[in-house]
Amino acid sequence: MRAATIVLRKDLRVLLRSPLLLGALLAYPVVIALLVGLIAGYASSKPRVAFVDEDHLPPVVSVAGHRFHLQAVINDVAKQVTLVRIGPKEAARELADGRVVATVTVPPGFLGNLETMATSPSLVLRTGSGGLSPRVTQQMQSLVYQLNQKLQAGYIAANLRFVSLILHGGPGTFLGRHFDLLGLDGTQAELAKLPPSRRVAVIEHFVQVARVGLAQTGAALRATANPITLTQPASHGRTWVLSAQVQAYGIALTVTFLALLLAAGAAAAEKDEGTIGRLRRGLVSFGQLVWAKSALAAVVGLALGATIAIVFGLVVEIGGVTGGEPWARLPLLFVGVTLVGGVVGAAGVLLGALAREARTASLLAVLVVLPVVFLGLVPRGALALAYWVSLFLPFVHAVRWFGAALYDTSPWRTIGIETLWLVGIGLVFGLLARGALRRLAA
Amino acid sequence: MTVAGPLVRALGVARTYGEIEALAPTDLELSGGEAVALVGPNGAGKSTLLAIVAGALEPTRGTVESHVRIGWVPQRPAHYARLSVRENLELFARLEGMSDPAGTATRLIERFALPPEARPSGELSVGNRQRLNVTLSLLGDPRVLLLDEPTASLDPGQRRRVWDVVDALRDDGGAVCFATQNIDEVGERADRVVVLQNGRVVFAGPPSGFAAVEQDVFG
Repeated sequence: MRAATIVLRKDLRVLLRSPLLLGALLAYPVVIALLVGLIAGYASSKPRVAFVDEDHLPPVVSVAGHRFHLQAVINDVAKQVTLVRIGPKEAARELADGRVVATVTVPPGFLGNLETMATSPSLVLRTGSGGLSPRVTQQMQSLVYQLNQKLQAGYIAANLRFVSLILHGGPGTFLGRHFDLLGLDGTQAELAKLPPSRRVAVIEHFVQVARVGLAQTGAALRATANPITLTQPASHGRTWVLSAQVQAYGIALTVTFLALLLAAGAAAAEKDEGTIGRLRRGLVSFGQLVWAKSALAAVVGLALGATIAIVFGLVVEIGGVTGGEPWARLPLLFVGVTLVGGVVGAAGVLLGALAREARTASLLAVLVVLPVVFLGLVPRGALALAYWVSLFLPFVHAVRWFGAALYDTSPWRTIGIETLWLVGIGLVFGLLARGALRRLAA
Repeated sequence: MTVAGPLVRALGVARTYGEIEALAPTDLELSGGEAVALVGPNGAGKSTLLAIVAGALEPTRGTVESHVRIGWVPQRPAHYARLSVRENLELFARLEGMSDPAGTATRLIERFALPPEARPSGELSVGNRQRLNVTLSLLGDPRVLLLDEPTASLDPGQRRRVWDVVDALRDDGGAVCFATQNIDEVGERADRVVVLQNGRVVFAGPPSGFAAVEQDVFG
């Protein structure tokens, strides 16, 4: 290992002497972190949505005998967006300019339909063409769903009052008409006063069955109003914040890309400079050379990953992104990026040895890294073959490792499994790289 | 001073690249106190033979036996271009396991009048890079020195300095084998000549016998 350490120190010194490459290596993670941070901030921020009230809704509306503070209800269920109350022309202009991502319009007649329920009232949603449109559409669908849920409670209560009137009788109002109802209780009492007969017995039986049936109406109404409800159980304690997920992909992509490129270039450079012949004369074995280049990639991976995580953390903290940065987890993340850097480095040495020349190695690394990353992004259900191939490449395991380190409350099982995968992949690439270096030296 | 018995013995070493035979099975022995010239046109197999004997290239067939340290000067300078002369010397001295890499580098820089400044060796002149190439081969005090056209890019003064080193090693009982296309060097420096053509030895003997095959080999 002494020889490998000497070569590693030499490579680091050479790296520090390459101002352009060093500048790129320093700038790259900062730029990536800023971009990822901005994306996370943008994705986590509350988009502005114009609220156009063409029906002049009063602050309080009465629906089925229930009083609703409508704006408060809307504000309550629309917590993921910032509703801006503006006129229709201004809303259209702001939507076109992109200052609002959507407009929600309450058309004329909305309140009348809501109060009478003669027809279902509608809200009109218009979205822009930005990347947040699908999310806003979902949020507006969620808003309408939740509004309906709140209104349903009122309607069910009103319906149950009519059922209660039928059951027990009493004064009531429907569509502005007042009435006084006998009810099934009163009917049964009146029937009891009549002389017994077959016809009276039939009516009494009907009243009894109707009373039992109507007594179950409340539960039945609630069940039919919400035949399916959606509940979201906690997924293994995972906090699942967007910022951490985006960060895991950002770091994995950057470390994979640069570690592969660097290790490939460093391995091929030994051929370019003619030094591989000197080294192999008993000074450094091919295995030690693979170790040295992989260690170089690991060191650079650590530096890149740490820079991204810290800069990203500062960006999301300053930007107030939901979830923030799990600072306490960064040491664990640093272990992961070092491991991934080393494993990707072994793959890079293989590429460099196959390419036999630094420029070709760099180009080859760029060409290889993109499919590797895209394979890692293919969901299992979309293309099974791509998923299985990606399992034998480091990117997908890097993402899982970093994701677990950043946002799993109990990350150890995932980290253990992914570490085994990465070590196995690293060993395979390392052995292949050793063989390829032997060929490179020939 | 001559030491009995070969310091290096290559037995039937050969190298092929796919279908191409770069070096047919070849024997080569280097004894203490002798200088052997490897002569032949481009592509004759001289560099391949030297690299195999130096351990820088694996032979497809055959073996190399040696119990002494071998220094190797490849045809193309082999050092790290972004490191200075001193850093290159210290790096390879460390890899050779020498106890005082810094002191060794200082001594070699002074001995070969190498540029002492810290600028990258890749920015040196061709001649200076070749001198560094030769100097790197002397790390570890080798008893056998293999030089692949070591003076091709050197001026007369630099050539003399390289040959002084070679002569000193030979006089001290070491062995030298150098590839060259300079016929004058063969007569002046070699005790024995091995002529290669198309990967095969076509002559091996004293320099006086080389003249007989020179015309056939070089045309």
